[in-house]
Amino acid sequence: MIEFWTILIIKTLVAFAVSMLIVAYSTWIERKVLGHVQLRYGPMRVGFHGLLQPIADGVKGFFKEELIPDNADKPVFLLAPIISIGAAITLVVVIPFGDTVTIMGHKIPLYLADLDIGILFVLGISTIGSYGGMLGGWSSGNKYGVIGGLRASAQMISYELPMALAVISVVMVSGTLSLVGIVENQAGLWNVVKQPLAFFLFIICGLAEINRTPFDMPEAEAELACGFNVEYSSMKFALFFMAEYCHMFVFAAMVTTLFLGGWYGPLLPGPVWFFIKTFAIIFFCVWERSTFPRYRYDQVMELGWKVLLPAGLLNILLTGLWMLVFNI
Amino acid sequence: MELIILLICGGLTIITSLLVIFARNTVHSALWMVASFFFMAVLYLLLQAEFIAILQIIVYAGAIMMFIIYAIMMLNLRQEERAPMRKTKVVGVVALLVLFLELLVVAVGRGLLAIKGPVTDQLMAKFGHIAVLSNFLFSDYVLPFELASILLTAGVVGAVILAKQKSE
Repeated sequence: MIEFWTILIIKTLVAFAVSMLIVAYSTWIERKVLGHVQLRYGPMRVGFHGLLQPIADGVKGFFKEELIPDNADKPVFLLAPIISIGAAITLVVVIPFGDTVTIMGHKIPLYLADLDIGILFVLGISTIGSYGGMLGGWSSGNKYGVIGGLRASAQMISYELPMALAVISVVMVSGTLSLVGIVENQAGLWNVVKQPLAFFLFIICGLAEINRTPFDMPEAEAELACGFNVEYSSMKFALFFMAEYCHMFVFAAMVTTLFLGGWYGPLLPGPVWFFIKTFAIIFFCVWERSTFPRYRYDQVMELGWKVLLPAGLLNILLTGLWMLVFNI
Repeated sequence: MELIILLICGGLTIITSLLVIFARNTVHSALWMVASFFFMAVLYLLLQAEFIAILQIIVYAGAIMMFIIYAIMMLNLRQEERAPMRKTKVVGVVALLVLFLELLVVAVGRGLLAIKGPVTDQLMAKFGHIAVLSNFLFSDYVLPFELASILLTAGVVGAVILAKQKSE
C-alpha cells in the first residue's frame, strides 16, 4: 500500500515538473523560432542564447503589481485564470509518456492513469478549460475583454465538433477509447497512415482550440488589444499564458498519441521518441504561426461549419465503409 | 471511504444546486450549475458509471452550459434585478398546499395495488418489462417521481411567468 502511494506521488511530481518545464521552455522555443524566422535573434541577454529567460519572466510575473478593475466581477475575475491553468494541467494525467519500465524491481507504467474513457476525458476537460478565457473576458468589465470571451466560446463550440469527429474515426480503427490502448494499436502502422484526413482535421481544429494563429480570434491584438486577458496583470496574466502553452503541449502530446504512434520508434527508448515527436509538433505550431496571417472572424466560423464539419462526417463514412468492405 | 466521498459530494451537489436558484447574478448562477454538474459527475463515478460521468461533463458542463453562458453574456445581464412582491404569491402558496396534500395522499396510499417482492425474471415474463418498471415507479419510487414532476411543472410555469413579465 505504502509502495503504491510512494510510486504514485513520485510519478505525479515528476509528470508535473516535466510538464511545467516544457511549458516554460515552449515560450523560449516560440520566441527563438519566431525570432530566427523574422531574421532576428530573439532573447539573447539572460543566459546562453537566452536560456534562462523563462525563469526571469516567471520571477518578473510574481513581483509585478496586481490590478483588479473597479468594474470587475471580483470572484469570477480571480477564478478565471485558475480554471484555465487547472484544466490544462489536469490533462497531463492521461498522457502516455511511455510503456511500462522496470526501476529497482518495480514495474512502473509511464503514465499517471490509463482511463477506459481517456480520449473523452481529454475532450471534456479541455472544454472546461475554455471557460477560463470566456469568464476572464466577461468578468473584467471591459468591452474588448467581453468580445474576446464571446469569440473564445463561439470558436470552442464550433471547432469541438469536427475535432471530436476526427477523434471518432481514430477510435473506430483502434477499437478503444483508452489512450494507452490507442498507442498499443499503432505498434505496426501509425494512425497517420490509416487516417490522413482525420490527422489534418485534428491538427486544424486543435490549433483553433488552443487559440493559435491563424485562429487566435479571442486575443487578436490588432482588433481587440489582446482580447480576454486585457485587464489581467502580473501572475494572473502569466497563468493564462502558462495555460495556453500547457494546452499546446497537451495538443502536441495528443497528436503524437493519436496519430504518430506515441512511444513507438526504432533504437531509442520509448519516452525519448515520445518527446521527439511532441517537440516536432510544438515546433510546427510555432512555424505555422510565423507563416500564416490571421483569419477574419467570419472566415473562421465558415471554415469550421462549412468545411471541417462535413469533412469530418465524410471521413467517418469512409472509415466505416472501409472497415465494412475489408471486414476489419 | 466511499461513503465519506458520497456524503461530501452529495452535500455539495445540493448546496451548489441551491446556489443556482439563490444567486442574484445570472452568470454566477450558471457557474454554480457547472459546479453542481461536476459534483454529480463524481456521484456517477462512485456508481462505477465512468462513461455517464464523463458524458455529464462533456455534454452538460461543457456544451450546454457553454451555450447558456454564451447567451447570458450576449444579453449583458450584469445588473442585479430584484423582483417585487406580488399578490399572486397567495395563490402560489394555496397551490403548493394542494400539491403537498396530493403528495401525502399518494405517499400514504402507495403500494396498495402494487406488485410485491423483488424484480425477477418470472415477474418480467408475467407482466412485461415496462409494466414492472412503471409499477416500481408508482410504488417504491413514487415520492421522487412526484417531486420531479412538481419541479418540472414549476419550471415550466416559472418560464411562462418570466416571459409574460417582459411583454406586459
